[in-house]
This record gives sequence, C-alpha cells and structure tokens, in this order.
Amino acid sequence: MEYDVVIVGGGPAGSVTARFAAEAGANVLILERRAEVGVPVLCGEGISQRVDKWDMLEGKRWIASKMDGAKIYSPDGTLVTLSKEMAGNETGYVVYRDIFDQELARRAVKAGAKILMRAEATDLLRNGEKITGLKVRQLNEEFNIEADVVVGADGVESKIGQWAGINTILKPGDLETCVQYTLTNVDHESDYCEFFLGKKIAPGGYVWIFPKGKDTFNVGIGILASLSEPGMPLKLLNKFIAGHSDLKKGEPVRLLAGAVPVANPIETVRDNLLLVGDAARHADPITGGGLTTALEGGKIAGVTIGKAVEKNTFDKDTLSIYETGWKETFGKKLHRDYVLKNILLDFDDKTLNMLADSLKDYKFEEFSILSLIKALVFKHPTLLMKLKPLLKLSEKSR
Amino acid sequence: MGKLNIKVDERECLACGGCISICPQAALLMYGGRAFVRQNKCICCGICIKTCPIGAICEVD
Repeated sequence: MEYDVVIVGGGPAGSVTARFAAEAGANVLILERRAEVGVPVLCGEGISQRVDKWDMLEGKRWIASKMDGAKIYSPDGTLVTLSKEMAGNETGYVVYRDIFDQELARRAVKAGAKILMRAEATDLLRNGEKITGLKVRQLNEEFNIEADVVVGADGVESKIGQWAGINTILKPGDLETCVQYTLTNVDHESDYCEFFLGKKIAPGGYVWIFPKGKDTFNVGIGILASLSEPGMPLKLLNKFIAGHSDLKKGEPVRLLAGAVPVANPIETVRDNLLLVGDAARHADPITGGGLTTALEGGKIAGVTIGKAVEKNTFDKDTLSIYETGWKETFGKKLHRDYVLKNILLDFDDKTLNMLADSLKDYKFEEFSILSLIKALVFKHPTLLMKLKPLLKLSEKSR
Repeated sequence: MGKLNIKVDERECLACGGCISICPQAALLMYGGRAFVRQNKCICCGICIKTCPIGAICEVD
C-alpha cells in the first residue's frame, strides 16, 4: 500500500489533518486502532464556541448543551463567575465526543481520505535513516504502508514521536490523571461549567461539573500525577459526589478515565514526520482543554502537508511551516499557561481563597491587569506579593 | 522472595494511556485496548502505579 500521508489515530487532530491534506490533493490514509472512531470517549467534552467560526463541524448533533460561562469555586466555596468571553477554551459547548469525532472523520472522508479500522502502527518503516512509512498490524495480518509523511495523532500515549527520536515521555508534574462519571437523574440547575479548586478536593487540578442535557452531567476530576496516589482520582471524585447535595442523588451511566498532558509544547517535526494534538502535547496546561488546539493544529498540519505534496519535498524544513504556524496560533499561549500553571501550583488554599474573595464581585467583561490590581489592593494587599510572578508574566506576554 | 513485577489488571484498565505516557522506560504499551507492561523493559519504579486514576496497576510476586 502506498499513500502520500499516513495518519496514526482517528481522533480530532488526525481527522482534521487528514481533511485539509486531502482537500489540498494529498492521498491520505488514517489508521484507527479502535473498533469505532471516537469510542471509548476519554474526555471532559468541553469546547469553546470559537469552533463555530472554523467550518470544521456541520449540523448540531455533536452538541449536548450550550454554556453561559464558568463558575469557579475556591477551596472555601467562594464563587467567582466568568462570562463565556473570559472563561477561556473550556466553556462554550459540551459535546458528545463520539459523534463529534465521527463528524470530523466524515469530513475527512468526504475530502477523499481513507480509514483503516482496527489497524495499529507497530513501528516506523525506514530506508536507512529516512522514514518511509509504517509497519502495521490489522487483526492478525502484518504489512507495510509506504508514505512520504507519517503523522502521529496517536494521543497522550504517542509512540510515533518516540520512534522518531522525539522525547515525548511526560514528567509526573506534566500529566493530569483523570476520571469522570456521566451522572443522570441529577436535580441540579446549571447552565455553567463549574470548577472546584483545593488541595483536599483535587491536588494540582480540579473537579468539574459540565451540564450535558436533561438532568445529566459530566462530573470529573483531574489530579497532577506527581501529587497523586494509586486510585486517588476515583476516590476523591466519589468523595466529592457523596458530599454534594445534588450530585449524590444521581446515578452513573458512564465511567471513563483520561490522561491530559499539561506540558510545555515539544518539537513536532522531523524529516517525513510530524505530531499533532495530544501527541504534540497541544493541550492547555491550565485548563487541560485540548480540542481547540487539536483542530487548529490539525488544520495547519493538513495545509502544510498539502503544500509539501505539491512541491514533492518532505524534509524537516518544508514541514516546519506547521511548527511555525502552531507556535504563532497557540504555542505562545500554551507556553505562558505552562509557566502560569507552575506559579499557581505554589498557591496554598488560603491564597486561593483570598484571590477568589478579591475577584468575586469583579466585572470580568472589563478585564485588565490594572483593574485587577486595584481589586486586589483594595481587598487583600498581601496577595500582591504572591502574585508578583503572575504580573511579571503578563507584562512579558504583552 | 522472587522479583516483584508490575502488572496492569486488564479487567479494570480503562485505557486512558496515562501510565504509558509517563513511564520513563517506555515499558508500557496499549495492547488489545488495555495497557500492558513489558517486563523486560520495566525497572519497577512504580510511577505508573501512582498515576493510574482507578488503581488498576499494582506490584505482584
């Protein structure tokens, strides 16, 4: 078998890469290890409504509910409300990830991409040093697929990058380990994404409640792996639900686990190879959200590959248009949020409570650093010392 | 006492991939929709045990 591009993984990043490469005229194959695209779901299922402007998804079937913003609860329960414009990537829609992924795959196929199901990459194919495709196992058959470009869209546990000599191994401080229930028959009024912070609630992470349609909520937890113990996410999530007057009356219809890279972005391009989505560590280190970056990055990757096919050159220089592109589009923000993550990890519960108390009456529509400082000086001047690294960061990123 | 091995309980594993992404030896693989430890590569550091969100990885004799 011979293709211009072979993409490992039929998740959002893989399918969007496939679509834009195919639309540019490339001959594209997607390998999907699972028996159904998008299943099992491994995700909190939140995405920004910015996606509406991107012409990535047709119809509304993939939308479970619309969000009005985010509510963030500090360790002592102080509530800070953010309108959706200020709440970052994680508010907007709650989606059905299985339908969402299959809709993206449909667009890729419509553009001409092929999909091989239950097919797993077992190694890179090389001619000397040069990457020339993949060794593949499908059910009991083993065979080679030749391609000018190999794309690793193989998620957080990516092997493609490692095989190409890119260090993709995550440090325990750069991974959120997660579980989530979908709870139904829950009598809880909320059109907001809710987030709960605190060392006793979710060390180095948070608990989330996302409304998912009638009486149904995604309730999940992420804990920083370096602060976790065996099974801690599930134990703490069960404890949170048992202590929540509305949630404890619900029953689960789904339990899923997840692992989210909260890392600094890595190198994503080699001769004849690139990485997209979670495999490229393209998830926001603060929120853990990775859908928008998977879609944006996938598009840049697909367009880049299209140009490479046209020029018939697939070296690192040519494919680096992709890396330059994602760095400009969201790379700076991911790096800034990585630095910010490590600053926030140093905050104890008391500091988070003071911060929330300063911000609870704050009008986020008129957000600026100056007005933020005013709010803090007024309520908790001692906070300013702790926030110094934060303010430095915001100056640098301007 | 024999050497301790790290094993993933395949009845419990929910295939999140966290252990695979974090293993400093790249000793874990996804196989048949479940994480799997390659004993010849594993150095029994236990990072995967701590990372598993549902406690499905443990040391066995």
